[in-house]
Amino acid sequence: MSEYEKVLLKNVGKPNSRQLATYVEGGGYSGAKRALEHTPDDVIDVVKRANLRGRGGAGFPAGVKWTFLPKDREVTYLCVNADESEPPTFSNRVLMEEDPHQLLEGILIAGYATQATVAYLYMRAEFTEQYHIMQKAIDEAYEAGYFGKNILNSGYSLECYIHRGAGAYVCGEETGLIESLEGKRGWPRIKPPFPAIQGAFGKPTVVNNVETLANLPHIVNRGADWFLGIGPEGSSGPKLFCISGAVKKPGCYEGAMDFSVRELIESDRFGGGMRDGLKVKAVMPGGISMGILTADELDMKMDFSDPAKYGLLGLGTASAIVIDDRTDIRQVLRNVARFFAHESCGQCTQCREGTSWMYKMTNRVERGLGRMQDIELLGEIPAKMGMMPGLSICGLSDGAAFAISTIVEKFRSELEDYVRNENDDAVRIALEIAN
Amino acid sequence: MAKIILNNQEVETREGIPVLQAALEAGLNVPHYCYHPGLSVVASCRLCLMEMKMPHPKTGELGWAPKLMPSCQTPVRDGMEVRFDSDKVHENQERCMEFFLLNHPLDCPVCDQAGECHLQDYSYHFGKSESRMVDQKHVTPKKDVGPRTLLYSDRCVMCSRCVRFCDEVAGTGELCITNRGSKAEIDAFPGKPLANPMQGNVVDICPVGCLLDKDFLFQQRVWFLKSADSICTGCSTGCSIRIDQNEDHVHRLKPRFNPRVNQWWMCDEGRFGFKYIHDKNRLTRLKLRRGESFESLRWESLAETVRYRFEDVAKKQSDKKIAVVLSPFMACEEAWLLVKTIREVAPEATLVLGPVPTVEQDERFPVGATNGDTKFIIRKEKCPNRNGIELIIKHFGGNTETFDAFVEQAGAGEFAAAWISGGYPTEWVSKDFAKAAGKIPFKVVHDLFGSALTDEATLVIPACSFAERDGTFVNATGVVQPFARAIKPPQGCKRDGQFFYELAELEGLYQSPTVLGMMAAEIDEFKEVYVPPQLPEHQH
Amino acid sequence: MAWKAIDRVNAPAEESPSLSEPLKEKIRGFFDRYPTKRAVLIPALHMIQDDHGYVGWKAMEEVAELLEITPSDVFDTVSFYSHFWTHPKGEKVVMACRSISCDLLGADRVLDECKKVLGIGDHETTPDGKYSLMTEECLAACDHGPCLMINEKMHKCVDPANVRKILEDDANDKLDIPRSNLYDGANRTSA
Ligand SMILES: Cc1cc2nc3c(=O)[nH]c(=O)nc-3n(C[C@H](O)[C@H](O)[C@H](O)COP(=O)(O)O)c2cc1C
Ligand code: SF4
Ligand code: SF4
Ligand code: FES
Ligand code: FES
Repeated sequence: MSEYEKVLLKNVGKPNSRQLATYVEGGGYSGAKRALEHTPDDVIDVVKRANLRGRGGAGFPAGVKWTFLPKDREVTYLCVNADESEPPTFSNRVLMEEDPHQLLEGILIAGYATQATVAYLYMRAEFTEQYHIMQKAIDEAYEAGYFGKNILNSGYSLECYIHRGAGAYVCGEETGLIESLEGKRGWPRIKPPFPAIQGAFGKPTVVNNVETLANLPHIVNRGADWFLGIGPEGSSGPKLFCISGAVKKPGCYEGAMDFSVRELIESDRFGGGMRDGLKVKAVMPGGISMGILTADELDMKMDFSDPAKYGLLGLGTASAIVIDDRTDIRQVLRNVARFFAHESCGQCTQCREGTSWMYKMTNRVERGLGRMQDIELLGEIPAKMGMMPGLSICGLSDGAAFAISTIVEKFRSELEDYVRNENDDAVRIALEIAN
Repeated sequence: MAKIILNNQEVETREGIPVLQAALEAGLNVPHYCYHPGLSVVASCRLCLMEMKMPHPKTGELGWAPKLMPSCQTPVRDGMEVRFDSDKVHENQERCMEFFLLNHPLDCPVCDQAGECHLQDYSYHFGKSESRMVDQKHVTPKKDVGPRTLLYSDRCVMCSRCVRFCDEVAGTGELCITNRGSKAEIDAFPGKPLANPMQGNVVDICPVGCLLDKDFLFQQRVWFLKSADSICTGCSTGCSIRIDQNEDHVHRLKPRFNPRVNQWWMCDEGRFGFKYIHDKNRLTRLKLRRGESFESLRWESLAETVRYRFEDVAKKQSDKKIAVVLSPFMACEEAWLLVKTIREVAPEATLVLGPVPTVEQDERFPVGATNGDTKFIIRKEKCPNRNGIELIIKHFGGNTETFDAFVEQAGAGEFAAAWISGGYPTEWVSKDFAKAAGKIPFKVVHDLFGSALTDEATLVIPACSFAERDGTFVNATGVVQPFARAIKPPQGCKRDGQFFYELAELEGLYQSPTVLGMMAAEIDEFKEVYVPPQLPEHQH
Repeated sequence: MAWKAIDRVNAPAEESPSLSEPLKEKIRGFFDRYPTKRAVLIPALHMIQDDHGYVGWKAMEEVAELLEITPSDVFDTVSFYSHFWTHPKGEKVVMACRSISCDLLGADRVLDECKKVLGIGDHETTPDGKYSLMTEECLAACDHGPCLMINEKMHKCVDPANVRKILEDDANDKLDIPRSNLYDGANRTSA
């Protein structure tokens, strides 16, 4: 783990960090000004060279995504993904709460690079305080001429509106978000066409995460090489990490992607070690969708490539829940299964039925009414769902699959111990009595 | 044209159509729910998945892609290779079927759809017989979603076809999806029920027994039904339909695919407008006036009676006219035989097209559609064959008259005799017409129901409904389409075509294609008859 | 009909509030933010819920008219999102996080305490109309679990022993930062 100077969170804790004046005093909006002095393609170019990979979960390079926009477009929309609903992730909250103008500057830069006409900041409904903070900041920015017509006399115009969600995890998926923005249920769309070609209101659209955009002022100001110099190849740049659960200092921290899960838990810079003398039993290091690690797998690096070696879906939101050794794995399993059953949008058969069936089983397993066959099924069903094997429209079901299957795989013997003596008939009878 | 390799076999198909459509057309039984060729593609049921060969992202070598692909969403490209016969594909189908049945109440014994249900069929072909779920099923309610339609939520597979139909074809959008995940249901806004003029189609396209027709509910097990391919007589659109009957009782009409006319759809007016067929008040007795009252006439004597009486009038009252009023409900063949007969015995007979029931204007769908984006038209002309009858009249030429002129002249006593064909499903004899007809001394009235006309007729011939007849109609856009008979005429009636055939002194049994052949020899328009292609066996 | 079926043929019997003219005007104020009127639906539903306490049938019908969509479109959207209530709720909604971090930190004990203090279950409302209770998935404040949100106010690191105190505090839903009233209903007076 290298020395690290905070970039994204450098204003956190400063007095009045939310105010435009404070932000500008610290050099804020200089990146945007610089960008407006260059051509949009120059800006795309530097972001591409920096290889800024999306922080929303999928890790797709932002600069590359922008180049998918058709050349001859007239209208472009920028959607800023602030739906942050992946348990246990809260880094976007911190960014918006503590330094709203950093995000707004990022929006302006991305807007300019993509020649967007309107930026919609899609915020989940439960971001209440953060909404008021962002709206205030937007008002300030408009007043100072950072949004609106002919921004800073550059000839470029951008409107920026907050669009509040209403409680649905799947609206974080980019096409679910677009549907929701259009006033519909957040059913993700089939692709192709991709949003870059036909997104919001049928027009070319870019969707980027809050943290991705927060990086832009710094890339524009300090250059691609600076960005590439932070962290390992393929995982460069400043990154936020969340940690919660049984650690001494739960919170959102910044660093390069050059340390392990163990360090995230133990280091004084981050989690500060386990609290109350507890031991690590398991960690879900990238948000629950990415899957679980056992206590033996804490050497996994928090970067874009290492998680796959541990059977995980990816780095995800780089947000770890640390599960201690007193925890019954059945509780974790049931909780995770419930989340996906509750949040599945319901269009794809495998996801709709699979998640709800798995929740029923895990619920029963937790109540001591599990069958061996349930454990089999909890291994089998996830193996046959998700977008990766082509079985669904969006990635929610991949998340469900990885979360559940890695728990079942990695904690199989513990689960089997709970259900070893059960048989179908006993379960049926017990269920009838219980229900 | 495109050639693709489908399950290891080269198949010719069309560039750009969904691979699923190509596979179905090639005769494959590919299970699918959400795909319907008349609706937008949503690729959500994930049942139609296939394997496809793609270039390896690194080496560029062509090989089976690791992902399954929705065949409904993948367009045909010349040279592509796909397969549906692999273990991977079968495994997905089996899994899906298990999922569809998890919360299904398995109430097939009391379900109307049983026998024509794609949950049953697919489970049988692609599924397993046992559910591995021991937990409680979700219980979802029945809903009275419209005046004609019931929704059994618990049988739904969430294919969203019904919702898309209302949005995209009817353009009325009454149905919606509520809630999310496994709690998602189809619903309608209270007080804004499913009631658009095309709503019956949702029952047809629902692949399972979720949306059901109240009219048909618990009437028949579908496996007892026998069908005939007919044409709807509700309006001049001339939708291809199927008449489903059992023991000579018509239970329902269903649209038949017809790319030139009605696509997959029909309207409710046509669908439910057949009830008059079994009306107890239908005329069923061939009868001849004797003084103040009627006496029965034997069908064998009809031809002779008609020919003799018309010939007689023509000869003896040459100062007066004879009319033949043809109904726009008649088949072309029937009209042709009739005119041919009468003109043989009374060459000067005046040909008249009977009243054409018409409402204010056509109804276009989706609601608000203009010419370009119209998907369906319910036409203002509420009869199937005005165009056909006009063709016949034009062909025979000679004396012709509009109906209004005929009524006027008849009122002035200019006609000595008239053949009047009705066959309208509703009352059609106006007071004026009845009054004018009173001035015609000799009247043959051929109709479905009694009226002021039949009361005063000399000869009353009970007519048959369209379900009992066969022949051809020419629709509003000039498409000549054959229709077949589905049921026997009621006791006492004789198939119209048959007695017209006998009237024309032709030997043997009436066969509409034979008569059509004779007509085609004289009239070019009848040389080409349009029979829509059958849907592929496994398309639904 | 011999069996029970939910009636969609007839308009609902229960009364529900209409959109006031100021509220409609506020909704129209959002029109120029989006290229379609339908996109104003979710903001409009927030405003309606703020004014009426919930989104009733009448409001759905009227907002459909305002946005030139069908009432069923509105019903569809309303029912998809967990934030909207289609029947009256309490003045304050207590949202208890139940996702993984909060759960492992004792969210169930907090929820049980809420139920006990309020005397209601999940998605229920106290007889005095003051509180409704619901569980929610991760509120994005997992570093401070277990979390309880009361209307706009997040309560962090909630100890079950403090639940009563929190719920008895009249100001338990008040924010101590400047609010934007953009998404509020037209009736709300405090800004
Ligand atoms: C089920 C699901 C939920 C998602 N939720 C979020 C989210 O809350 N925030 C987010 O930024 N991206 C989320 N994503 C990822 C987005 O689809 C998309 O990749 C991202 O917003 C792109 O931004 P980025 O490239 O800047 O990361 C989610 C994806 C899925 C499949
Ligand atoms: S995978 Fe699940 S959440 Fe995603 S579109 Fe399909 S059903 Fe909806
Ligand atoms: S009711 Fe029928 S057509 Fe509609 S979604 Fe359900 S299964 Fe499909
Ligand atoms: S996904 Fe292709 S038919 Fe449903
Ligand atoms: S798990 Fe409760 S706030 Fe994230």
